[in-house]
Amino acid sequence: MRRILTAAVAALIMTATLSACSGNEADHGQPDTDGGSAPVQLTIWHDKEDAVAAVLQAELDKLKPEVAVTLEKKNGLTEALKMVGNDPNAAPDMYFFAHDKLGVYAEMGILTPVTEFVDAETLGGFLPMTTQAATYKEEIYQLPIYFETLLFMYNRALMPDEEVPATTEDLLAFMKATTGNGQYGFVEQHSTAYYSAGWIHGFGGEIISSDGIPQLNSDKTVAALEYHLNFARLMTGESEYATVNTLFMEGKAAATIGGPWLVPTVREAGIDLGLAPMPVVNETGLPIAPYSGVQGLHVLKVAADNPQKNAAIKTVLNQLLGPDIGVAMAAASGCAPASAACYEMDAVKNDEMVMMMREVAENAVPMPNIPEMDVMWNATSNMLVDINMRKADVRESADKAQKQAEDLIASMQ
Amino acid sequence: MKSNKYKVHGTLRSWLCLLPSFIIIGLIVVFPIVYTGYISLTNMNIYHWFDFTVIGLENYMKALTVFDGGFLQALALTVLWTAVNMLFQLVIAFVMASLLNTPRLRLRRLYKTVLMFPWAMPGYVSILLWKNGMFNSQFGLLNQWLDRLGMEPVQWLAGDTVAFVACLVVNLWLALPFMIMIMDGAMQSIDRSYYESALLDGAGWFRRSISLTIPAIRPIIAPAVIITVFTTFKQFDVIYLLTQQVGAKTGANIHTVLTYAYENAFVTSNYGYSSAISIFIFVLLIVFTMVTNLRKGGRKHAENP
Repeated sequence: MRRILTAAVAALIMTATLSACSGNEADHGQPDTDGGSAPVQLTIWHDKEDAVAAVLQAELDKLKPEVAVTLEKKNGLTEALKMVGNDPNAAPDMYFFAHDKLGVYAEMGILTPVTEFVDAETLGGFLPMTTQAATYKEEIYQLPIYFETLLFMYNRALMPDEEVPATTEDLLAFMKATTGNGQYGFVEQHSTAYYSAGWIHGFGGEIISSDGIPQLNSDKTVAALEYHLNFARLMTGESEYATVNTLFMEGKAAATIGGPWLVPTVREAGIDLGLAPMPVVNETGLPIAPYSGVQGLHVLKVAADNPQKNAAIKTVLNQLLGPDIGVAMAAASGCAPASAACYEMDAVKNDEMVMMMREVAENAVPMPNIPEMDVMWNATSNMLVDINMRKADVRESADKAQKQAEDLIASMQ
Repeated sequence: MKSNKYKVHGTLRSWLCLLPSFIIIGLIVVFPIVYTGYISLTNMNIYHWFDFTVIGLENYMKALTVFDGGFLQALALTVLWTAVNMLFQLVIAFVMASLLNTPRLRLRRLYKTVLMFPWAMPGYVSILLWKNGMFNSQFGLLNQWLDRLGMEPVQWLAGDTVAFVACLVVNLWLALPFMIMIMDGAMQSIDRSYYESALLDGAGWFRRSISLTIPAIRPIIAPAVIITVFTTFKQFDVIYLLTQQVGAKTGANIHTVLTYAYENAFVTSNYGYSSAISIFIFVLLIVFTMVTNLRKGGRKHAENP
């Protein structure tokens, strides 16, 4: 009896193991392709907050019954796309995400340019910065919907409107006058590449050129790093998100540079929040020009190759060309629309934060979308940490980081 | 003849019973290693993601460049990290387990539950709680205490040495429950009568520990110690999340073999190249195991000639 039981259990475990590994392709069934009146089902992966997703869903629901779009929130979206991006049974048809990964996916060969579905001339109605962000090797791979960039924020209780610095020297003078005893004149994530990029651009430098050559030890970048050190010295030793934002929200810092996502929580914390244009670097006359991230729709090649889906994708993208979606996004979640027409409408014109992002966008630099950028975040942060936190020599640190970045890029091939 | 047939039948049955485990181990342990080995021979990177081809040992040649001065420094630090962690873990766990085994101890179960707590929490959460709740120079508990005492705040995670100690403390906090539990279990298996005779012979706590407890628990805790040596050697989360996380780097430059490999290879999305480095680290760990086992075997040999 015992033997039989042992054998039965063993057989059961084996069957369970093998069946678990065989996969269940039935779960990812294709839509009905017999051409009947059934709606074409499209799936869009995204990683956005519910308010943004709801606006997009509402806009796309207008296409029913011909096209039924399902938005699927996906954690670890970027990695998941790498794994299943070319698998018609598992890949989504489109995804809604920032533009900065599109170079990687274009190189992997899983994307189709959106110009196959929408008229390239129509895209002229978008802010130039957003279409520039969507372009990789002269092809436009994203339909921009909205963008994010950093804003200069100040606490009116600690920095009256008339003291808001117009130039970086004004800011430095303000910091010197107000920093001490647990209070800070200005805080930012000084040793993080995303935040420091604005200062580097303000000196005419860049982290990486558009053709994928690191620029960490260029004269302009080094000049920016040396100048920025004067500011970093007057900030907190820690440079991560939580510390910097908590200081601002608790009224211990008069000003900061932060993303629009911070604004609702800052207002909830009871701060009398002011938004101002970025200070201008005295030496160059250029404003601090932060990176921007453009959020939009990308089309996967496996979906574009499916004739029935191809037509539905065209319908979806054309539905999102008008200003409606941008206006709705601005109202729902303070997103800055990519479509220039939105800024002519009162609903958007009256939104201080959105209009300030529009102003910053004049100078903002889209995050590079080339694959090489993937390794630059770490190399640049290491350099900033060396300079701002470990008090290392600026030029030496920049040379070291440049070498590391070049090695990493060589290792990508 | 009959017994021989029975033997063959028995052996066959044993293998059959083991077969499911072999298949499972094959799928979840052996297959990934073999597959990593295969990928390491290909040019799988973002430029050849789905159309990769076998390119031979090229990745291994390239991987050798990662084994530079920085890697050797990281390797030395990893060995130091493992040794110091093991020393503290064994000593502290031994003392704690001895205290838990004090005769007529009250609320023993409560203490055990409390001591298990760090183990029950997800490591990621614990580490970030330590980072922001304890070590943060602006809001952390440690600096608030220093502030009350009228002392200057300390950047706990900024200097190399102080950050190493901070990482050590967090790792001990995470790892001690396991070691205490194993030691406690081992101590409870020792026959009380030995202690009674030792007491009659006039042995104190120290003598009893050295001559009785330690020899008795050694064979029981040995597998746990070996497992812990490896988990400590390949520890990534504690050091990375406390000091190296992109966007939240603290200024400390302490790298273990794995954080170094991550920063210098894995971020490239070059799977062929990263796999070659993984295989190198795998071989390193195998060598490390063999050295540990050789020493253990040697000692056993000496004890039982």
